[in-house]
Amino acid sequence: MKITIGHLYPDLLNLYGDRGNIQCLKMRLLWRGIDAEVLRFGIDDPVDFTKLDIVLLGGGSDREQMIVCRRLQNIQKDFKAYVEDGGTTIAVCGGYQLLGHYYNTPDGKMEGLHLVDLYTEQGSPRLISNIVLQNDLYPYPVVGFENHGGRTYLGKDQKAFGKVLFGSGNNGKDGQEGVIYKNVIGTYLHGPLLPKNPHVCDDLLLRAMRRKGYSDDLAPLDDHEEKEANDYIVKRFTGKS
Amino acid sequence: MLSRRRLTRRQNSRRTKRISKAARERRNGDRYMGLRTSLAIMTAKLLSFACKVAGRQGVTMAGKIAMKIDPDILKTLSSQVKGDIVVTCGTNGKTTTNNLICSAFESEGRKVVCNHTGSNMLMGVAAAFVLAARVSGKLDADNAVIEIDEASAKRVFPYMKPDYMVLTNLFRDQLDRYGEIDITMNLLQEAIAMAPDMKIIVNADDSLSSFLAIDSGHPYVTYGISEQVFRRKDENEIREGQFCKKCGSRLVYDFYHFSQMGVYRCPSCGFRRPDVDFDVCNVNLQGGLSFDVSESKSKIHTEKLPLHHISANYRGFYNIYNILACYAAAKTAGLSMEHFDQMIAAYKPEFGRNELFHIGNSSVLLNLAKNPAGFNQNIASVMEDESPKDIIIVINDNAQDGKDISWLWDVDFDRLQGPSIRSITVSGIRCQDMRLRLKYVGMKTDLIPDVKTAIEKRLADGCGNLYVLVNYTALYNTHKTLGEMQARSEASAGKPAGKKDQGKEAGS
Repeated sequence: MKITIGHLYPDLLNLYGDRGNIQCLKMRLLWRGIDAEVLRFGIDDPVDFTKLDIVLLGGGSDREQMIVCRRLQNIQKDFKAYVEDGGTTIAVCGGYQLLGHYYNTPDGKMEGLHLVDLYTEQGSPRLISNIVLQNDLYPYPVVGFENHGGRTYLGKDQKAFGKVLFGSGNNGKDGQEGVIYKNVIGTYLHGPLLPKNPHVCDDLLLRAMRRKGYSDDLAPLDDHEEKEANDYIVKRFTGKS
Repeated sequence: MLSRRRLTRRQNSRRTKRISKAARERRNGDRYMGLRTSLAIMTAKLLSFACKVAGRQGVTMAGKIAMKIDPDILKTLSSQVKGDIVVTCGTNGKTTTNNLICSAFESEGRKVVCNHTGSNMLMGVAAAFVLAARVSGKLDADNAVIEIDEASAKRVFPYMKPDYMVLTNLFRDQLDRYGEIDITMNLLQEAIAMAPDMKIIVNADDSLSSFLAIDSGHPYVTYGISEQVFRRKDENEIREGQFCKKCGSRLVYDFYHFSQMGVYRCPSCGFRRPDVDFDVCNVNLQGGLSFDVSESKSKIHTEKLPLHHISANYRGFYNIYNILACYAAAKTAGLSMEHFDQMIAAYKPEFGRNELFHIGNSSVLLNLAKNPAGFNQNIASVMEDESPKDIIIVINDNAQDGKDISWLWDVDFDRLQGPSIRSITVSGIRCQDMRLRLKYVGMKTDLIPDVKTAIEKRLADGCGNLYVLVNYTALYNTHKTLGEMQARSEASAGKPAGKKDQGKEAGS
């Protein structure tokens, strides 16, 4: 089996070590003997979603996000069809905001992709912190770093990616972080997200592989370094292990 | 234009004198202000002295207390500088460039106010002036050469109007503190607009810095490297400013030096790398740095001036930019350049920048790297040494480092591979993250959180050629540890302690 990972606009959306997420997805496939291919899409390249198994949409500066947002409207229909068909997507920071209906800033309203029922309003101050989440799907917490001015609000039927144990999350108010919709995960967590959260990485891989008809579990890997790095953050910021 | 400004400054001070003579009340006010200034200076000096005795660096504190007592002290003192004030801004190379420029002025016998230690926010800048002033409130200085943090420039410029700004480069740096690079650019733009007579000396190879200079409408001169030095092609390297700041189209590059430094143009709107006034050619990186600077005399005269050859005993391609920025600034400010070459030859990089220690039979090179661009440059410099080596990487996440260490994934650590690398040890508060970073490019590491233990272990079992790459807050302690180890090793070998060698190639 081969898994194809599409990295959308790494030239513009490459803040906060997004490269690490790509590297993590790729290596955890290769270590299991599964073929992996990474396609990097430039802003003018056509994107054929039918060829992709995992899509990564990263974060950029507001200005860069604005450029991307204009172009994204051209692929909105195909992206929507991919998501509705169960296509696996991981969207981080700015990419997460773009999944929703809009991002309202004092400089204007950025039209989102309308892929997931959520919207974002700019707020002050920026929410900048290490962050720890709990999600009962996973055997241990999800850790990362958040740095966002936007306050994101989920539509009433949407499920969050996690419950905030430390940090601010979507909007600093409702104790929720991120979103999971079908096989889409949207989150403010970078750090980057996946290397210190191999359980999330494997979850994404498995979602993509199931869509291709794979029915087994993933072969376990030696994750003691990942777990130790995760555990360090959990202990340091929540006092628990 | 400059001489006219200097005259104006003098006229201003004469006018103040006349008015103060005429108005008794105002004079009393002045006297009160004078007392306040004196008190501020005295208190700051005492505080700084006390900190020194206590073995701490009290520069920022001294500036803080002085500004609390006399909020205008920076204005009062900086307006007494007789000649030009030069400021250095930019993400990387600030401290080295600024200290080089200071040395260039000093080598011509000038008295210079300079924030050598790199305390570059408002309080640090104020401290540099306060500590250089007399308690009477008088400052005897020919020039000031001041590095300023990009975000702090607009806080400093209300008090101090520079004649020149050297703008070195703009890279992503500590996103949790500074925010995105666009925010930094906006802050700098505001600051530049506050000093309308300031001439900008800018790195033409950086599209972001060049855009700021050109867009500001200020007069500017440029420096750059127009010949291609590296043939390496790496399409995955993280580069800032890939898109034209003017129109948003993708820039086209003839070649890159590193990060986004290179020769670029915008195919849509005509924005391009500006003509280079101080241009480097004939670069040689073998055993130190050697290059020539050509200078276009003016944009009207096309006659070529003779090349100026520069060689320096320290390394790292990025140091060419630091020296070149200094050369351009010194020339532009009208220095005679008589002692420039000696100054470069004698210059000692400040601590932690390519600093070499000898411990037993091992040589240890300590180098600071705070952001992806800096780290990539350090890695390139490590790999220029082809002899076997051990490497220790120390990563902390204290507030001054930036609490967000995701930038580690923007560094091209995979370039640290090859037969000459004997071992890589990860250390510091976030050694776990560093270990993962390397695991995902297939590199095995040894995890030793305590820096001292890590160094001791590699000195004991390593190959005698050790590189220690550290980020900001790890620098001070690592430097201290290495210094103590070196002193002990020299004492036991019967050599005089405290002698150290800086900037030379390790293992040579």
